[in-house]
Amino acid sequence: MAKERIWYVEDSENMDQICSRCRMCELICTFHHHGVGNPYRSRIRVVALGKGVDIPVTCLNCEDAPCVNICPTGAMHRPQPDSMVIVNPDVCIGCGMCVNACPVGAVILDPGEGTALKCDLCNGEPQCVKYCPAEVLKLSGSSQFSKHRMKGFARLLQAQTINTETGLK
Amino acid sequence: MNRFQGGYAGRILYVDLTDGTIDNRPLPREFAEKYIGGRGFSSRILLDEVPADVDPYSPRNVVVIASGALNGLPMPSASRLVTATKSPMTGALGDSNSGGYFAPELKYAGFDAIVVRGASKEPVYLFIKDGQAELRPAQHLWGCKVHESHQKIVAETNDEDTHVLVIGPAGENMVRYACVVTDKESVGGRCGIGAVLGSKRLKAIAVRGTRDVKIADPPRFKKVIDDYLVSIAGEAWTESLRRLGTPFLTEHRQTLGIWGAKNFQSGIVEGGEKISGEVFRKKFLVKPLGCMACFIRCRRYSAITAGDSPFYTKGPEYESIHALGAKPNVTDPETILRAHYLCDEYGMDEQSAGSAIAMAMELFERGLLKRDQTDGQELTFGNGEALLYFIDKIASRQGFGDLLAEGTKVMGEKLNAEYYAIHVKGLEVDAADPRKQETRALTYCVATRGACHLRGNPYIDEFIKPEEAEAYFGTAAVSDINSLEGKGKMVAWSEDWVTLSDLMGICKFAWYRSRDFSMLVKRGLDMVAEAYQAATGIPMTSREMYRCGERVYNVEKIFNLRQGFGRAADYPPERFFREPLPTGPAKGAVLNREHYDRLLNDYYEARGWSPESGVPTPEKLKELGLASDEIQ
Ligand code: SF4
Ligand code: SF4
Ligand code: SF4
Repeated sequence: MAKERIWYVEDSENMDQICSRCRMCELICTFHHHGVGNPYRSRIRVVALGKGVDIPVTCLNCEDAPCVNICPTGAMHRPQPDSMVIVNPDVCIGCGMCVNACPVGAVILDPGEGTALKCDLCNGEPQCVKYCPAEVLKLSGSSQFSKHRMKGFARLLQAQTINTETGLK
Repeated sequence: MNRFQGGYAGRILYVDLTDGTIDNRPLPREFAEKYIGGRGFSSRILLDEVPADVDPYSPRNVVVIASGALNGLPMPSASRLVTATKSPMTGALGDSNSGGYFAPELKYAGFDAIVVRGASKEPVYLFIKDGQAELRPAQHLWGCKVHESHQKIVAETNDEDTHVLVIGPAGENMVRYACVVTDKESVGGRCGIGAVLGSKRLKAIAVRGTRDVKIADPPRFKKVIDDYLVSIAGEAWTESLRRLGTPFLTEHRQTLGIWGAKNFQSGIVEGGEKISGEVFRKKFLVKPLGCMACFIRCRRYSAITAGDSPFYTKGPEYESIHALGAKPNVTDPETILRAHYLCDEYGMDEQSAGSAIAMAMELFERGLLKRDQTDGQELTFGNGEALLYFIDKIASRQGFGDLLAEGTKVMGEKLNAEYYAIHVKGLEVDAADPRKQETRALTYCVATRGACHLRGNPYIDEFIKPEEAEAYFGTAAVSDINSLEGKGKMVAWSEDWVTLSDLMGICKFAWYRSRDFSMLVKRGLDMVAEAYQAATGIPMTSREMYRCGERVYNVEKIFNLRQGFGRAADYPPERFFREPLPTGPAKGAVLNREHYDRLLNDYYEARGWSPESGVPTPEKLKELGLASDEIQ
C-alpha cells in the first residue's frame, strides 16, 4: 500500500481554496499533542514566501527516510512498512541529527522537552486536515495526489486546445 | 511564575521611555478577573494612569498594547490586538483594534500587555523575546515607511517569526490620525495611536516568543472550539465575507442609499457599481487571507502588478472604499486601491484621511476654500489625482497637507466651518450614513471612542423575534424596526456584549452578525464564558461575563466624563438633523431631534446613568464593583 501523508492540495480554479495563512493547522497540531496554544511546537508550519504565497510544510514520509537512517538510537522509526515515520520520545536523546537530515525541515526539537517532534498523522485522525478552513490539507497517498494534479492539468489542456462547443481542436 | 492555570501569560511589561527603565510585573489576578483582557485591560489602565490634565502628546500620556484573554489559543478568530491611549483626535479614551499575528505572539513571548510611558529623546524600538525586553536605537529607521521599517527590524532580529508593530512617517510627523501597523498589513487605524507613539519617539515594537499559552481544561476547551465553529458555519454573513471581504457591503450601502458620499451630502455614489466588492475581487484579488486561527478569512490580499509602481497590499476593506471612494466621490478602483496602499505605507488612518480630504472638497466647491489655500489644487469631488497628491502631503505635513493632517474637527475650527466637519467627539463618522436609522445614529454618538459603528450592534431589531425582545428587553416592540420603544436598552445591551469580543481578542466578524438573536447570545455570552473558564480555570457565568463588558464600558465613560464629555458630546453632527438625504432609496431621511433626545434618555436610563449628565449613578457603580470616587 502506498504510504500516506499530508498533502497541500490547493484548487487553482477556486481562489478560496488556497492556504490563507490562518495558522489554524499549527495551533491545532500543538493543541492536539500538548494541550496548549503554541504554533512553534507544531509539526506543520506555514511558510510565507511573500506576494501572497503561503505554503504549509510537513513531513513527506520519505520511502528511504533520511531521518530514520541517521537516528543513532532508533527513536526515529517506521513501525510498519506502510506507516508513518514516528518518534519514540522515550528513546530520543534530542541530538538533532534528524533535524539535520530531513530535506524539508519537517523535524524540530521541542522547545520544551528537547526531543524530536514530527508529524505522526495524529494516530490516523489528522487534526490539521479537519480544522483547515480552506480545506487544502488532505491525507492521501501519492497516487491520489497525482490524479488530482492530472485533473488540473487536463482542465488546462482542455481550455487551451479544445473548442469546448464542438469538443474538437 | 504564572499564577494562572491557563489563558493568560501572567505578566505585564511596563516601559518608561524617559529613563529607559523596563519593569516586568505579574498580572494581578483580581484585575484579570474583573477586566478580562484586551480593551478591558487598556481602558482600566488608562483610567488609572492618565489624569484629566494630561495632553495626548505629553510624555505623561500612556499607550497600552494588550492581548485578549483567548489570544494565542486555537480559538476561532482569536487574533485581535488592542492598542489604546488618550486620543489626540478626541482627547477622550481612544483605542484601535487590529488582526493579524501580533496579539498571540505577545502571549508566546510571555506578556498579556505592554504599558508604555514617557518619551524618549532619540528614536528607539522595543524588542521583546521570551520574557525579556530591551530598547534599541531606531535613528536609522526614522523616516522609513511601513514595509521598509518592518523588513529592517525583522532582519535585525534575525528571525522570520518576529512580529512587528510599527509607525510610519505619518506617526513620526504626528499626523493626528496616524495609525499603527503590524506585520505590514494589519492596521490599528483609528484614534491616532501612531501619533502618540511618534510623540514618544517609539518607532516600533518587535515581539518573538516560543512559550506555551496553557489551557486549564483542554478537553473542555476542545468542545467549545467545535461548538463555536458549528455556530459560525453556513451563515450567509460568513459566506459573503469569505467571498468578497468587507467590500461586500458596498452594494448593500448603495442599495439602501446610505453611502455617506460627498462628505455625507449624498446617500448614493453615482457610478457606484464601478467600485463594488465584485470589481475589487475581479481586478485585484490575489487571494483571501485569514488572521490567526480565523475561519472566516475576510481579508483581501490585492495587487497592482502592471505599470510603473506595482505593489501588493492587504485590503481594501469596505472602509477603504467608503473613505477613499464614496466620501471624496472617487470611482476609479485603481485610484482607491493606490490611495489605500499609500495610507498604509505612511501609517495613517485612511478613514480620517479620506474624511479630511472630502471635507476640504466640499469647502472648495462651496467657495470656502480657495485655490491659493489648497496648494493650487482643484480640490473638487471626484478628483482622484488630488486625493493621491494630498495623501503624500498629509504624511509629510507639507503645504495644505499640514491642515488636513489635523483631522476634520480642527479643520472645522480653523476654517470656521464646523458644520462641515462630520465627526462625533472629534472622530469622523465611518461606515454609513445614520440618517435613515436612529439606532445607528445613537450607536455612533454614544460610542466611547467617538463616532464608531463597531462599539454596538444597532441592527438587532431587524431580526429579533417578539418573544426574544420581550424576554431580553422587556418589550416586544424592540422587534419592530419602526418603533423607538426599548431601543435605548437594546443599544446599551449590544455595546456591553460587543465589548466582550474586545476583551477576548475575538474578531467581531465571528461575533455579531447572525440573523438569529438567540444564537448571538449563545455564541457571544454562553460559549465565550465557557471558553474563558476552560482556558483559565476561572469560574465565570454568562451573567458575570456580561457584567465584565458593562464594567469596561462604564470605565470608558468615566474616563470621558473626566475629560468633560457630557450629554452634549453624545449628539450627531448638525447636518444629520438639518439636511434630509437628497436622492436615492433613502431620499428624505433625516434625524428627528425629539426622537433622538428620547432615545438618548432611554439609553442613559437603561445604563443607570443620570439623564442630564450621563454620570453613572452610585448604585450602578456599586453594582459593577467600581468605586464612587472614580469620576472625581
Ligand atoms: S489551516 Fe489551512 S489555510 Fe490555514 S494556514 Fe494551515 S493550511 Fe493554510
Ligand atoms: S521527517 Fe523529513 S526525512 Fe523524515 S520522513 Fe519526514 S520528510 Fe522524510
Ligand atoms: S497530521 Fe496531525 S501531527 Fe501531522 S501535521 Fe497534521 S495535526 Fe500535526
